[in-house]
Amino acid sequence: MSAADWSELDGYEALVSELRANPPVAPERLRARVLEGAPAPRRQRSRKRRLALVVVPAAVVLAVGAALVHGFVSTGSHERASSLAPTLHTNEHLLGPVKRAPGAASTTPEAASAHKGAVPGWNAATQAPSGKKYLLDQSAAVASGSNVYAPVTHGRAVAIPKNRLVHAVASLQVGVKSSNLSDKTNEASQIVGSFGGYAQSVRYQASRRGQGEAILALRVPVQNAQKAIAKLGGLGTLLSQQVSTQDLQAKLSQQNSGIGSLRRAIAVYENALQSTTLSATERVAIQIKLNNARHALARLRHARNGTLASGATADISLLLTTRNHAIVPAHHGGSTRIGRLLGSAAHFLALEGIIVLYAVIVLAPVLLLGGLAWWILRERRRRDERLLASA
Amino acid sequence: MKAVNALPAAVRPPGRVAAPSFADVVAEHLDAVYRYLVYLTGDRVAAEDLAAETFERAFRSWRRFDPRRGAPRTWLCRIAHSAAVDWFRAEARRQRREESYSRDDALLEESVFSEGLSPELDRALRRLTPAEREVVALRVLLELDGPSAARVLGISGTACSTRLSRALKRLEEEMSDVRS
Repeated sequence: MSAADWSELDGYEALVSELRANPPVAPERLRARVLEGAPAPRRQRSRKRRLALVVVPAAVVLAVGAALVHGFVSTGSHERASSLAPTLHTNEHLLGPVKRAPGAASTTPEAASAHKGAVPGWNAATQAPSGKKYLLDQSAAVASGSNVYAPVTHGRAVAIPKNRLVHAVASLQVGVKSSNLSDKTNEASQIVGSFGGYAQSVRYQASRRGQGEAILALRVPVQNAQKAIAKLGGLGTLLSQQVSTQDLQAKLSQQNSGIGSLRRAIAVYENALQSTTLSATERVAIQIKLNNARHALARLRHARNGTLASGATADISLLLTTRNHAIVPAHHGGSTRIGRLLGSAAHFLALEGIIVLYAVIVLAPVLLLGGLAWWILRERRRRDERLLASA
Repeated sequence: MKAVNALPAAVRPPGRVAAPSFADVVAEHLDAVYRYLVYLTGDRVAAEDLAAETFERAFRSWRRFDPRRGAPRTWLCRIAHSAAVDWFRAEARRQRREESYSRDDALLEESVFSEGLSPELDRALRRLTPAEREVVALRVLLELDGPSAARVLGISGTACSTRLSRALKRLEEEMSDVRS
């Protein structure tokens, strides 16, 4: 305090000293009353806050770091896979890992070219004797930084094995001019008809100017599927093409084998029933077995017919569109390494967010009820205190 | 209510300037706040209630209090001033409603400010306005410096100085009147 401050009191020394000598003193009951409501020391509170200030950013940094590491690792493995198989751009994240049959379509351009009917640049995989499903995917090169696929180079059609029973499913996206959409739709039906197939369904949507798309579900005999796919692809600009085949040969062999066994069993039962030495009980038992075998045979024959029918035709899904690009499932981010890394990291972060959101949703009712109970208890206590204070 | 959990200064880690606990602040400044309110209101019972209310308000805003921005005493006095202003308003309304001035009569019968004060000084203090008693309390009893007292009162330093000198002058005049 400066001297100037005290100069104001000059001349009133006696008064000031008397006032200062006899100050009012707070009664003890007031001290107790005030201290009753005193909070804990500030340091403890600030320590909690400091802890929260450290923990929360640390958790955020950890989550982002984990996402980046995941992105780095996943793009690293992607790059390695790409270096081994530069043309492989299958939709593995949707369909699972693609297996390559030995001697069938290969993953390298050289092997793909060597394979009969394979088109270089196609993401090819085909059926294996084990009956597993494989994918033949001809997608155009990914336009950098976008999910727009440029038109693919026309080539020969994908080979569909002819020496084995397979179920083939193909999906084509063909870009056509808006003035040609209806004509090309009709032409597609005619092409399929010329190969002994038919259009299962046709859905045509177009504006007045002819812009729009036609979706055709087609069926053609499997032996003509390859040619039909090639011809359908030639209706316009082939934007994307996907062919998958499923080997049915093993299934058919199994069914044939089962039918043979049942036939033999039926013959045995019929011979046995002709025997005169059988007791009535044995005869009944054999008769039951015979009936069961005949039913099983009928079922198996029906199933085999279904297998044969499935292998006889190929399902072709054709999209004729006036757009000049095909929308395809997005790959990881952009085409660059950083783009893929960021995309993968973002995907991982989204996953973390989903987990956190899920936890919040699950815990929210519990927290809400807990908070409500705490609030009710606090209000009750305060009401009691008010009652006591006013009493 | 939470129990007081003040860390004694002796056991605080050396080299660390710990912020005072609320209990420390209460222990150190309760008397000052009470004195200020007694002088301001001229009513011990009301001063007691207002002191309790002041510390309750301080308790609520204790987390926001930053000792670097001002002394705890000044901060508490400002809260007390605000509480007292509210009390004066309520009291004025009550008196208008009841048209009762019995409190003033009661004040004349017993010592309000301190038992040790001379009756003349006590009576003279009663004759001052609350504003005059307030500045006397802040500058004389609580020994706040000019700027701090002005901050509590919400007036300029010059106005505070003027008010103090007038209050002291009037106090002396009133004492003379009482003696004569």
